[in-house]
Amino acid sequence: MANDVINKDEIMAVYPKVAETMADALGCDVEDIKLDVSLIDGLDAESIDFLDMVFRLERAFKIKIPRGKIVENARGDLPEAEFEQKGIVTEKGLAQLKSYLSEIPDSRFKTPMKVADIPRLFTPETFCKLVVRAQREAKAPA
Amino acid sequence: MAPHFAAYSFVDRITDFVPAKHARGQFAIPPHVPEFSSCLVAEAVGQLAAWVSMAHINFRGRPVAALATETRFHTDATPGRTLDLVVDIDDCDDEAVAYSGSASIDGKTIVDLIHCLGPMLPVEDFDAPETLRARFELLRAAGASAHRFQGVAMPAVMTREHARGQSLQATLAVPSEAPYFGDHFPRRAVFPATLLLDTQIRLALDLAREAPPWKDRQVPHPARVTHVKMRSFILPGQNVDLAIDLAPLANGIAKASLNARIDERVVATARLEIAG
Repeated sequence: MANDVINKDEIMAVYPKVAETMADALGCDVEDIKLDVSLIDGLDAESIDFLDMVFRLERAFKIKIPRGKIVENARGDLPEAEFEQKGIVTEKGLAQLKSYLSEIPDSRFKTPMKVADIPRLFTPETFCKLVVRAQREAKAPA
Repeated sequence: MAPHFAAYSFVDRITDFVPAKHARGQFAIPPHVPEFSSCLVAEAVGQLAAWVSMAHINFRGRPVAALATETRFHTDATPGRTLDLVVDIDDCDDEAVAYSGSASIDGKTIVDLIHCLGPMLPVEDFDAPETLRARFELLRAAGASAHRFQGVAMPAVMTREHARGQSLQATLAVPSEAPYFGDHFPRRAVFPATLLLDTQIRLALDLAREAPPWKDRQVPHPARVTHVKMRSFILPGQNVDLAIDLAPLANGIAKASLNARIDERVVATARLEIAG
Protein backbone atom coordinates (compact mmCIF):
# COMPACT_ATOMS: atom_id res chain seq x y z
CA MET A 1 0.00 0.00 0.00
CA ALA A 2 1.17 3.54 -0.69
CA ASN A 3 0.66 4.60 2.92
CA ASP A 4 4.23 3.78 3.87
CA VAL A 5 6.30 6.12 5.96
CA ILE A 6 7.60 9.08 3.97
CA ASN A 7 10.64 10.75 5.45
CA LYS A 8 11.38 14.45 5.58
CA ASP A 9 14.19 14.20 3.03
CA GLU A 10 11.78 12.79 0.46
CA ILE A 11 9.32 15.59 1.18
CA MET A 12 11.95 18.32 1.00
CA ALA A 13 13.24 16.89 -2.29
CA VAL A 14 9.92 17.58 -4.03
CA TYR A 15 8.79 20.59 -1.98
CA PRO A 16 10.37 23.38 -4.08
CA LYS A 17 8.71 22.21 -7.29
CA VAL A 18 5.44 21.46 -5.46
CA ALA A 19 5.46 24.96 -3.94
CA GLU A 20 6.15 26.57 -7.30
CA THR A 21 3.39 24.56 -8.96
CA MET A 22 0.88 25.29 -6.22
CA ALA A 23 1.70 29.00 -6.22
CA ASP A 24 1.05 29.11 -9.95
CA ALA A 25 -2.28 27.34 -9.50
CA LEU A 26 -3.38 29.53 -6.61
CA GLY A 27 -2.05 32.79 -8.03
CA CYS A 28 -0.02 33.54 -4.92
CA ASP A 29 3.68 34.00 -4.16
CA VAL A 30 5.75 30.87 -3.76
CA GLU A 31 6.78 32.15 -0.32
CA ASP A 32 3.15 31.79 0.77
CA ILE A 33 3.28 28.04 0.20
CA LYS A 34 4.57 27.04 3.63
CA LEU A 35 4.69 23.31 4.21
CA ASP A 36 2.13 23.41 6.99
CA VAL A 37 -0.34 26.07 5.87
CA SER A 38 -3.96 24.94 5.45
CA LEU A 39 -4.75 25.23 1.77
CA ILE A 40 -8.38 26.11 2.37
CA ASP A 41 -8.24 28.21 5.53
CA GLY A 42 -4.83 29.74 4.88
CA LEU A 43 -4.70 30.12 1.12
CA ASP A 44 -8.40 30.27 0.20
CA ALA A 45 -8.16 27.21 -2.04
CA GLU A 46 -11.42 25.76 -3.36
CA SER A 47 -12.21 22.36 -4.84
CA ILE A 48 -11.37 23.57 -8.36
CA ASP A 49 -7.93 24.61 -7.04
CA PHE A 50 -7.31 21.09 -5.75
CA LEU A 51 -8.14 19.77 -9.20
CA ASP A 52 -5.85 22.37 -10.75
CA MET A 53 -2.98 21.55 -8.38
CA VAL A 54 -3.24 17.82 -9.03
CA PHE A 55 -3.42 18.46 -12.80
CA ARG A 56 -0.30 20.64 -12.67
CA LEU A 57 1.63 18.34 -10.33
CA GLU A 58 0.99 15.41 -12.65
CA ARG A 59 2.61 17.29 -15.50
CA ALA A 60 5.39 18.82 -13.43
CA PHE A 61 6.48 15.45 -12.02
CA LYS A 62 5.25 13.22 -14.87
CA ILE A 63 3.22 11.15 -12.45
CA LYS A 64 -0.38 10.03 -12.16
CA ILE A 65 -2.45 11.12 -9.16
CA PRO A 66 -6.01 9.76 -9.09
CA ARG A 67 -8.18 12.84 -9.38
CA GLY A 68 -10.86 13.46 -6.79
CA LYS A 69 -9.71 10.50 -4.74
CA ILE A 70 -7.47 12.02 -2.11
CA VAL A 71 -10.03 11.31 0.59
CA GLU A 72 -10.46 7.76 -0.72
CA ASN A 73 -6.70 7.31 -0.52
CA ALA A 74 -6.73 8.61 3.03
CA ARG A 75 -9.20 5.84 3.89
CA GLY A 76 -6.66 3.27 2.78
CA ASP A 77 -7.82 -0.33 3.17
CA LEU A 78 -10.56 0.59 5.63
CA PRO A 79 -14.03 -0.13 4.20
CA GLU A 80 -16.11 3.01 3.70
CA ALA A 81 -18.69 1.88 6.27
CA GLU A 82 -15.96 1.60 8.90
CA PHE A 83 -14.34 4.90 7.91
CA GLU A 84 -17.44 7.05 8.08
CA GLN A 85 -21.07 6.91 9.09
CA LYS A 86 -23.62 9.43 7.85
CA GLY A 87 -20.88 11.78 6.75
CA ILE A 88 -19.02 11.68 10.08
CA VAL A 89 -15.60 10.04 10.37
CA THR A 90 -15.68 7.14 12.85
CA GLU A 91 -13.16 6.69 15.63
CA LYS A 92 -11.42 4.03 13.58
CA GLY A 93 -11.56 6.30 10.55
CA LEU A 94 -10.05 9.16 12.51
CA ALA A 95 -7.14 6.98 13.58
CA GLN A 96 -6.58 5.99 9.93
CA LEU A 97 -6.84 9.63 8.86
CA LYS A 98 -4.31 10.75 11.46
CA SER A 99 -1.94 8.06 10.29
CA TYR A 100 -2.34 9.02 6.62
CA LEU A 101 -2.11 12.75 7.36
CA SER A 102 0.71 12.33 9.86
CA GLU A 103 1.99 15.81 8.99
CA ILE A 104 -1.11 17.45 10.45
CA PRO A 105 -0.98 18.30 14.17
CA ASP A 106 -3.51 16.47 16.34
CA SER A 107 -5.10 19.76 17.36
CA ARG A 108 -6.41 20.29 13.81
CA PHE A 109 -8.48 17.09 13.81
CA LYS A 110 -11.92 17.98 15.09
CA THR A 111 -14.17 15.55 16.89
CA PRO A 112 -16.63 14.81 15.45
CA MET A 113 -15.10 15.34 12.02
CA LYS A 114 -17.25 15.61 8.89
CA VAL A 115 -15.94 13.81 5.81
CA ALA A 116 -16.63 17.01 3.88
CA ASP A 117 -14.19 18.84 6.16
CA ILE A 118 -11.24 16.51 5.51
CA PRO A 119 -9.85 18.69 2.69
CA ARG A 120 -9.60 21.55 5.22
CA LEU A 121 -6.74 19.60 6.77
CA PHE A 122 -4.69 19.44 3.58
CA THR A 123 -1.44 21.34 3.42
CA PRO A 124 1.33 21.60 0.82
CA GLU A 125 3.05 18.78 2.73
CA THR A 126 0.01 16.59 2.03
CA PHE A 127 0.57 17.20 -1.67
CA CYS A 128 4.33 16.59 -1.35
CA LYS A 129 3.46 13.19 0.10
CA LEU A 130 1.01 12.52 -2.74
CA VAL A 131 3.81 13.22 -5.19
CA VAL A 132 6.27 10.97 -3.35
CA ARG A 133 3.72 8.14 -3.22
CA ALA A 134 2.98 8.52 -6.93
CA GLN A 135 6.71 8.51 -7.70
CA ARG A 136 7.15 5.34 -5.66
CA GLU A 137 4.22 3.66 -7.43
CA ALA A 138 5.64 4.63 -10.80
CA LYS A 139 8.97 3.03 -9.85
CA ALA A 140 7.42 -0.09 -8.32
CA PRO A 141 7.59 -3.21 -10.51
CA ALA A 142 4.27 -3.99 -12.19
CA MET B 1 -34.80 26.52 -35.50
CA ALA B 2 -34.76 24.62 -32.20
CA PRO B 3 -31.76 25.75 -30.17
CA HIS B 4 -30.52 22.27 -29.19
CA PHE B 5 -27.45 21.35 -31.26
CA ALA B 6 -27.78 24.66 -33.13
CA ALA B 7 -27.50 27.76 -30.96
CA TYR B 8 -24.17 26.88 -29.34
CA SER B 9 -22.97 23.64 -30.94
CA PHE B 10 -19.83 23.76 -33.03
CA VAL B 11 -19.12 20.25 -34.24
CA ASP B 12 -20.83 19.21 -37.49
CA ARG B 13 -19.04 15.95 -38.03
CA ILE B 14 -16.48 13.68 -36.41
CA THR B 15 -14.27 12.43 -39.21
CA ASP B 16 -11.68 10.44 -37.32
CA PHE B 17 -12.18 8.77 -33.98
CA VAL B 18 -9.96 6.68 -31.73
CA PRO B 19 -11.97 5.96 -28.57
CA ALA B 20 -10.69 7.80 -25.51
CA LYS B 21 -7.60 8.96 -27.38
CA HIS B 22 -8.09 11.15 -30.39
CA ALA B 23 -10.60 12.71 -32.73
CA ARG B 24 -10.83 14.97 -35.71
CA GLY B 25 -13.93 16.90 -36.63
CA GLN B 26 -15.28 19.75 -38.68
CA PHE B 27 -17.48 22.76 -38.24
CA ALA B 28 -18.62 24.91 -41.14
CA ILE B 29 -18.87 28.50 -39.95
CA PRO B 30 -22.06 29.79 -41.53
CA PRO B 31 -21.35 32.53 -44.09
CA HIS B 32 -24.22 34.66 -42.80
CA VAL B 33 -22.86 35.20 -39.27
CA PRO B 34 -21.01 38.50 -38.85
CA GLU B 35 -18.08 36.91 -37.02
CA PHE B 36 -16.91 33.77 -35.32
CA SER B 37 -14.62 34.74 -32.47
CA SER B 38 -11.50 32.85 -31.40
CA CYS B 39 -13.27 31.97 -28.16
CA LEU B 40 -16.00 30.23 -30.15
CA VAL B 41 -13.28 28.39 -32.07
CA ALA B 42 -11.84 27.26 -28.73
CA GLU B 43 -15.35 26.20 -27.70
CA ALA B 44 -15.54 24.05 -30.84
CA VAL B 45 -12.33 22.25 -29.89
CA GLY B 46 -13.61 21.74 -26.35
CA GLN B 47 -16.89 20.36 -27.65
CA LEU B 48 -15.07 17.77 -29.75
CA ALA B 49 -13.17 16.71 -26.62
CA ALA B 50 -16.49 16.53 -24.78
CA TRP B 51 -17.94 14.14 -27.38
CA VAL B 52 -14.91 11.85 -27.14
CA SER B 53 -14.99 11.82 -23.35
CA MET B 54 -18.75 11.35 -23.04
CA ALA B 55 -18.64 8.43 -25.46
CA HIS B 56 -15.80 6.87 -23.47
CA ILE B 57 -17.86 6.76 -20.29
CA ASN B 58 -21.04 5.76 -22.12
CA PHE B 59 -22.69 9.15 -21.57
CA ARG B 60 -22.81 8.82 -17.79
CA GLY B 61 -21.16 12.19 -17.39
CA ARG B 62 -20.39 15.29 -19.36
CA PRO B 63 -17.39 17.56 -18.91
CA VAL B 64 -17.82 21.21 -18.06
CA ALA B 65 -15.32 23.97 -18.67
CA ALA B 66 -13.00 24.38 -15.71
CA LEU B 67 -9.29 24.71 -16.46
CA ALA B 68 -7.38 25.72 -19.56
CA THR B 69 -3.66 26.04 -18.98
CA GLU B 70 -2.95 27.87 -22.21
CA THR B 71 -4.89 28.91 -25.29
CA ARG B 72 -2.95 30.41 -28.18
CA PHE B 73 -4.74 32.63 -30.65
CA HIS B 74 -3.05 32.66 -34.04
CA THR B 75 -5.47 34.29 -36.43
CA ASP B 76 -9.16 34.94 -36.90
CA ALA B 77 -11.64 32.44 -38.28
CA THR B 78 -13.65 33.68 -41.22
CA PRO B 79 -17.37 33.04 -41.67
CA GLY B 80 -18.05 30.77 -44.61
CA ARG B 81 -14.92 28.67 -43.97
CA THR B 82 -14.69 25.24 -42.39
CA LEU B 83 -12.84 24.64 -39.15
CA ASP B 84 -10.80 21.46 -38.93
CA LEU B 85 -10.78 20.39 -35.30
CA VAL B 86 -8.45 17.95 -33.60
CA VAL B 87 -8.21 16.77 -30.00
CA ASP B 88 -5.81 14.47 -28.23
CA ILE B 89 -7.09 13.07 -24.96
CA ASP B 90 -4.43 12.76 -22.26
CA ASP B 91 -6.68 11.16 -19.73
CA CYS B 92 -10.38 10.46 -19.43
CA ASP B 93 -12.54 8.77 -16.83
CA ASP B 94 -15.70 9.38 -14.79
CA GLU B 95 -13.91 12.14 -12.87
CA ALA B 96 -12.53 14.36 -15.63
CA VAL B 97 -11.16 14.68 -19.13
CA ALA B 98 -7.72 16.15 -19.79
CA TYR B 99 -6.96 17.11 -23.36
CA SER B 100 -5.17 19.35 -25.80
CA GLY B 101 -6.37 20.31 -29.23
CA SER B 102 -6.40 22.80 -32.05
CA ALA B 103 -8.49 24.27 -34.82
CA SER B 104 -7.30 25.19 -38.28
CA ILE B 105 -8.63 26.35 -41.62
CA ASP B 106 -6.92 25.00 -44.74
CA GLY B 107 -3.96 23.92 -42.65
CA LYS B 108 -3.51 27.29 -40.99
CA THR B 109 -3.85 27.07 -37.22
CA ILE B 110 -6.47 29.35 -35.72
CA VAL B 111 -6.34 28.32 -32.06
CA ASP B 112 -4.30 25.90 -29.93
CA LEU B 113 -5.63 24.62 -26.62
CA ILE B 114 -2.95 23.21 -24.35
CA HIS B 115 -3.63 21.12 -21.26
CA CYS B 116 -7.31 21.65 -20.57
CA LEU B 117 -9.26 19.86 -17.88
CA GLY B 118 -13.01 19.44 -17.59
CA PRO B 119 -14.51 17.75 -14.55
CA MET B 120 -17.30 15.31 -15.35
CA LEU B 121 -20.76 15.97 -13.94
CA PRO B 122 -23.79 13.68 -14.19
CA VAL B 123 -25.04 13.98 -17.74
CA GLU B 124 -28.69 13.66 -16.71
CA ASP B 125 -28.42 17.01 -14.94
CA PHE B 126 -27.66 18.75 -18.23
CA ASP B 127 -29.12 16.80 -21.12
CA ALA B 128 -30.83 13.55 -22.08
CA PRO B 129 -28.17 10.83 -22.38
CA GLU B 130 -30.07 9.06 -25.17
CA THR B 131 -30.30 12.29 -27.16
CA LEU B 132 -26.57 12.86 -26.80
CA ARG B 133 -25.82 9.27 -27.76
CA ALA B 134 -27.94 9.57 -30.92
CA ARG B 135 -26.29 12.86 -31.78
CA PHE B 136 -22.85 11.37 -31.37
CA GLU B 137 -23.75 8.56 -33.77
CA LEU B 138 -25.01 11.13 -36.28
CA LEU B 139 -21.81 13.18 -36.00
CA ARG B 140 -19.72 10.05 -36.54
CA ALA B 141 -21.80 8.95 -39.55
CA ALA B 142 -23.29 11.39 -42.04
CA GLY B 143 -22.73 14.41 -39.87
CA ALA B 144 -25.21 17.09 -38.88
CA SER B 145 -26.62 19.59 -41.33
CA ALA B 146 -24.34 22.60 -41.61
CA HIS B 147 -25.06 26.26 -40.89
CA ARG B 148 -27.42 25.71 -37.98
CA PHE B 149 -25.61 28.35 -35.94
CA GLN B 150 -27.26 31.75 -36.24
CA GLY B 151 -24.66 33.83 -34.44
CA VAL B 152 -24.62 34.86 -30.83
CA ALA B 153 -25.59 38.17 -29.29
CA MET B 154 -22.94 39.41 -26.89
CA PRO B 155 -24.36 40.21 -23.45
CA ALA B 156 -24.82 43.78 -22.30
CA VAL B 157 -21.88 45.27 -20.42
CA MET B 158 -22.02 48.45 -18.35
CA THR B 159 -18.77 50.12 -17.39
CA ARG B 160 -18.55 51.17 -13.74
CA GLU B 161 -14.98 52.42 -13.44
CA HIS B 162 -12.44 53.08 -16.12
CA ALA B 163 -8.81 54.24 -15.92
CA ARG B 164 -7.76 54.73 -19.53
CA GLY B 165 -5.31 52.10 -20.68
CA GLN B 166 -4.96 50.69 -17.18
CA SER B 167 -8.03 49.14 -15.65
CA LEU B 168 -11.70 48.68 -16.08
CA GLN B 169 -14.57 47.48 -13.95
CA ALA B 170 -17.84 46.61 -15.56
CA THR B 171 -20.99 44.64 -15.00
CA LEU B 172 -21.97 41.95 -17.45
CA ALA B 173 -25.72 41.38 -17.43
CA VAL B 174 -26.35 37.76 -18.33
CA PRO B 175 -29.68 37.68 -20.15
CA SER B 176 -32.54 35.75 -18.61
CA GLU B 177 -33.27 34.19 -21.96
CA ALA B 178 -31.09 33.53 -24.97
CA PRO B 179 -31.07 30.85 -27.67
CA TYR B 180 -27.78 29.41 -26.38
CA PHE B 181 -29.37 28.49 -23.05
CA GLY B 182 -31.46 25.88 -24.90
CA ASP B 183 -28.27 24.26 -26.12
CA HIS B 184 -25.90 24.93 -23.25
CA PHE B 185 -27.57 23.11 -21.59
CA PRO B 186 -31.18 22.01 -22.23
CA ARG B 187 -31.81 20.78 -18.68
CA ARG B 188 -29.71 23.32 -16.87
CA ALA B 189 -29.07 26.65 -18.52
CA VAL B 190 -25.54 27.91 -17.93
CA PHE B 191 -23.87 31.00 -19.39
CA PRO B 192 -21.04 29.64 -21.56
CA ALA B 193 -17.58 30.20 -20.10
CA THR B 194 -16.28 30.96 -23.58
CA LEU B 195 -18.77 33.84 -23.92
CA LEU B 196 -17.55 35.23 -20.61
CA LEU B 197 -13.96 34.98 -21.81
CA ASP B 198 -14.90 36.50 -25.15
CA THR B 199 -16.46 39.48 -23.39
CA GLN B 200 -13.45 39.92 -21.11
CA ILE B 201 -11.00 39.77 -24.02
CA ARG B 202 -12.96 42.38 -25.98
CA LEU B 203 -12.87 44.73 -22.99
CA ALA B 204 -9.16 44.08 -22.42
CA LEU B 205 -8.46 44.88 -26.07
CA ASP B 206 -10.37 48.16 -25.73
CA LEU B 207 -8.14 49.00 -22.77
CA ALA B 208 -5.02 47.98 -24.67
CA ARG B 209 -5.90 50.25 -27.59
CA GLU B 210 -5.93 53.18 -25.15
CA ALA B 211 -2.55 52.27 -23.71
CA PRO B 212 0.49 53.83 -25.31
CA PRO B 213 2.83 53.13 -26.83
CA TRP B 214 1.90 50.61 -29.50
CA LYS B 215 4.12 50.98 -32.51
CA ASP B 216 2.66 52.57 -35.62
CA ARG B 217 -0.06 50.53 -37.27
CA GLN B 218 0.15 47.79 -34.68
CA VAL B 219 -3.28 46.60 -33.76
CA PRO B 220 -3.48 44.97 -30.34
CA HIS B 221 -4.77 41.44 -30.60
CA PRO B 222 -5.05 38.55 -28.16
CA ALA B 223 -1.94 36.34 -28.34
CA ARG B 224 -2.71 33.84 -25.63
CA VAL B 225 -4.73 33.35 -22.51
CA THR B 226 -3.42 31.28 -19.62
CA HIS B 227 -4.59 30.12 -16.21
CA VAL B 228 -8.25 30.04 -17.21
CA LYS B 229 -10.17 28.78 -14.22
CA MET B 230 -13.97 28.59 -13.98
CA ARG B 231 -14.94 28.30 -10.33
CA SER B 232 -18.68 28.10 -10.61
CA PHE B 233 -21.54 28.23 -13.07
CA ILE B 234 -22.97 31.55 -14.17
CA LEU B 235 -26.74 31.42 -14.46
CA PRO B 236 -29.29 33.27 -16.60
CA GLY B 237 -30.13 36.69 -15.21
CA GLN B 238 -27.07 37.01 -13.01
CA ASN B 239 -24.91 40.13 -12.94
CA VAL B 240 -21.21 39.42 -13.21
CA ASP B 241 -18.72 42.01 -11.99
CA LEU B 242 -15.75 42.09 -14.32
CA ALA B 243 -12.37 43.54 -13.39
CA ILE B 244 -9.57 43.92 -15.90
CA ASP B 245 -6.13 45.21 -15.00
CA LEU B 246 -3.65 45.90 -17.76
CA ALA B 247 0.07 45.98 -17.03
CA PRO B 248 2.33 48.34 -18.99
CA LEU B 249 3.57 47.10 -22.32
CA ALA B 250 6.80 45.10 -22.01
CA ASN B 251 8.67 43.38 -24.83
CA GLY B 252 5.76 43.95 -27.16
CA ILE B 253 3.27 42.23 -24.87
CA ALA B 254 0.65 43.76 -22.60
CA LYS B 255 -0.53 41.43 -19.86
CA ALA B 256 -4.03 41.67 -18.44
CA SER B 257 -5.57 39.92 -15.48
CA LEU B 258 -9.22 39.01 -15.97
CA ASN B 259 -11.45 38.50 -12.97
CA ALA B 260 -15.17 37.82 -12.72
CA ARG B 261 -17.17 37.93 -9.51
CA ILE B 262 -20.77 37.41 -8.53
CA ASP B 263 -21.78 38.87 -5.18
CA GLU B 264 -18.10 39.30 -4.24
CA ARG B 265 -17.33 35.64 -4.93
CA VAL B 266 -14.73 34.97 -7.61
CA VAL B 267 -16.32 32.85 -10.34
CA ALA B 268 -13.64 32.97 -13.03
CA THR B 269 -10.05 34.08 -13.48
CA ALA B 270 -7.64 34.19 -16.41
CA ARG B 271 -4.51 35.93 -17.62
CA LEU B 272 -4.41 37.44 -21.09
CA GLU B 273 -1.41 38.43 -23.19
CA ILE B 274 -2.04 41.03 -25.87
CA ALA B 275 0.41 41.52 -28.71
CA GLY B 276 0.69 44.31 -31.24
